[in-house]
Amino acid sequence: MDNFQKKFIEEATDLINDLEQALLSLEKQPKDTEIVASVFRIMHSLKGGGGMFGFDEISNFTHNLETIYDEIRNGNLLVTEELLSITFSSVDHLRNLLDPEALKNEQISKNHNILLSKVEGILKKHDKKIIETQIPETEKEESVQTFYIYFGPNESIMDNGTNPLYLLDELNTIGNCNVYTRTQKIPLLSKFNFSKCYTSWEVFLVTKEPVASIQDVFIFVEDESELEISNIANFDILSESEILDKIEDLFDEKSHFDLSILSPFINNYEKEKKNKIDTVTEKLSTFTKENVISSIRVSSDKIDELMNLVSELVTSQASLSLFVEENKVQELNQLAENIENITRQLRDTAFNISLIPIETMLTRFHRLIRDLSTEFGKNIDFITEGAETELDKTLIQGLTDPLMHIIRNSVDHGIESEKERVKLGKTLKGMIYLKAYYSGANVVIKIQDDGKGIDLAKVRQKAISKELIQHDSKLTERELLDIIFLPGFSTAENVTDVSGRGVGMDVVKRKIEEIRGTVELDSKTNVGTTITIKLPLTLSIIDGLLVMIGNTKYVMPLNLVNKIYAVNHQDFKKAYNNIIIIDGEQIPFYYLRDEFEIDTEPLEVEQMVIVKYEDKKIGLAVDDVIGEYQAVLKPLGKLYKNHEIISGATILGDGTIALVLDTNKIIHEFSFKN
Amino acid sequence: MIDEDIDQLTNSYLSFKLSDEFFAVHVSKVLNILELVPITKVPKSSDVLKGVINLRGSVLGVIDIRMKFNEIISENTKETCILVLEVLIDNEMVEVGAIVDSVEEVIEVKENEIQPPLSVGTKYKSEFITGLLKSKDKFIMILDMDKIFAFDHASMLLDDMPET
Repeated sequence: MDNFQKKFIEEATDLINDLEQALLSLEKQPKDTEIVASVFRIMHSLKGGGGMFGFDEISNFTHNLETIYDEIRNGNLLVTEELLSITFSSVDHLRNLLDPEALKNEQISKNHNILLSKVEGILKKHDKKIIETQIPETEKEESVQTFYIYFGPNESIMDNGTNPLYLLDELNTIGNCNVYTRTQKIPLLSKFNFSKCYTSWEVFLVTKEPVASIQDVFIFVEDESELEISNIANFDILSESEILDKIEDLFDEKSHFDLSILSPFINNYEKEKKNKIDTVTEKLSTFTKENVISSIRVSSDKIDELMNLVSELVTSQASLSLFVEENKVQELNQLAENIENITRQLRDTAFNISLIPIETMLTRFHRLIRDLSTEFGKNIDFITEGAETELDKTLIQGLTDPLMHIIRNSVDHGIESEKERVKLGKTLKGMIYLKAYYSGANVVIKIQDDGKGIDLAKVRQKAISKELIQHDSKLTERELLDIIFLPGFSTAENVTDVSGRGVGMDVVKRKIEEIRGTVELDSKTNVGTTITIKLPLTLSIIDGLLVMIGNTKYVMPLNLVNKIYAVNHQDFKKAYNNIIIIDGEQIPFYYLRDEFEIDTEPLEVEQMVIVKYEDKKIGLAVDDVIGEYQAVLKPLGKLYKNHEIISGATILGDGTIALVLDTNKIIHEFSFKN
Repeated sequence: MIDEDIDQLTNSYLSFKLSDEFFAVHVSKVLNILELVPITKVPKSSDVLKGVINLRGSVLGVIDIRMKFNEIISENTKETCILVLEVLIDNEMVEVGAIVDSVEEVIEVKENEIQPPLSVGTKYKSEFITGLLKSKDKFIMILDMDKIFAFDHASMLLDDMPET
């Protein structure tokens, strides 16, 4: 696949996402002409791009859909539920079609034909109606614009065989033209050179084509002529006699029209006729609004590379600071501080670039809730707040699945049917509320529903039957709710299509922990359930605790560290069954020196770092604790791909490497071993 | 002209020593030669995986190929160094470091000077050796680094057949 096609697929994916979003809003406001127009516009771009880059199936498939939305735009068709659901399926299908080989798949190909015939069905139904009512379709005036073109070729333009008159002819094919010829420069016959061009032209062109197609006409003579193309009006000035008269007036002995006189005149004229052309200006304003959002597309590889360089800079800067501190060079001090400042800003900016708003995944959820509520016959509003909250792109990728599952649960188990809701005196419509906000160096995402909540009695029963708890054990509400996160627990009575996919809340929890997040659950009977997810802002920098074991430095994630105690080496040796008593509490521990098979002489007093592991406290014994450290995470590379207890490495200020410990995996691995 | 250049490149090999035997690897595989720096050992990994080093801000895994080829590991000397190689692991080009006892020279050879590896009588598994070179009265074994790194890290590359 060549580069252009890849580019197109990227762009088309965005377009399809936009389309889905537009359709979701259209569903809420089926009469909103602006949304219809944007749906049409997106389809149009898809069709055009598809044709251009050889995705003919996309182009053909979109063609009929586009026609339908064009008719809606023109007020000849109405948005119906049937049409929307066909369009939604089409959106899904378009995603499949992005794979050029897609139609070789029987299922997809079948689906393709079904959708095509459905779309055609709608068109046919509509065509019949049109013939019956005989609505005369006049060309829409809105898109007509008038351009002023000044074309002043160099004298030598005819040297390479260009005939300027042909260009003017070509302009004439684009639209209606009024051409004014300037002949002032033609010299006396005695000085006249037949191979030179002395004439310049001015053209008022009325066309529906974009400015680019005018530029195309002159594409080969751009370098050899003076060319000016400007849009002077968004209507047909050639059919307005008042303006034509004015133009005639202005055509004097000067070398070209003075636009500074003509333009205001046309503008005034336009204002006077504003009522008539209201629709046009509206369109223009939406057009400019789109143009204001300035962003560029950068491949994520480039961003990763930038991040790498920045991390490298951060490390080098740290060694510079270290050097300055050790050598006390006065002159260098100021410089080092400056560089430190700039580095920090650069780091923040670079990290900012790799953040994307969570909005990007919300469309999927809107769609999911829409589809599920139709399927279950429930009526649900999905309200979001803080969609602009930004997260690292890898976090967003890791978060989508768990969130999807949580929302599925809410729709399936949380929100009651309309009947039940009425009985309980609740609003007919259920609500799922997603809120995202910053909290310190974390992002919090809350998903709240106003459904029936979690039945704690049921949870208890189930936990007993699954032997997760003792039959007579006394548990607080909190503890009961936490059981839901245990592996092998799922409250769904019937395995439905939605929740019964073999994954429960334990998987949700694990997935979120994988991206170093935490998840909490709150529930009140008949009021609803709230799930709170807390995530670090970025994955590539972690707050860590720098420790020493043997000759190697290690970093532990600080958010998991609970307390640190100094313990005599003898006490570790005396400890029975790897349990030590600290502050009257029995704490199981792992002596990392032994686990890592390090045979240098241990210190007399060692440190015990207590970390959190699934609500338990576990001790990890290390030689020494150096202090807090902000670590830039680097992967260990392919050679260590199966090495799970080390999640990466970081380069310290002196250029040496510290290994980042994944304490959860370490405890998991060692507890299995024992 | 360009063809000639490529020809020359395809026939350049970097030779190095492991213990007292000579090996060579195609120069296109070699990115850098570093002097031996302290290596951070990753706990609970096999002995062949020496650990990681800081290579201009990124983390480079280092493997001791001496352990793959010789039972006796020579002491580190001033000449011991790390070859930074580009090898194919799981269909992905990866940079790795390989410790060798010393780097000798870049030799240019014509294709027809390379002899096929001996299938019998060597102590190394022949699948890792793509050819033999004779240069100044010594034999140099040309190694297929991709295959060596694709191989299980912990295992030795010695053939089961006893040395004769």
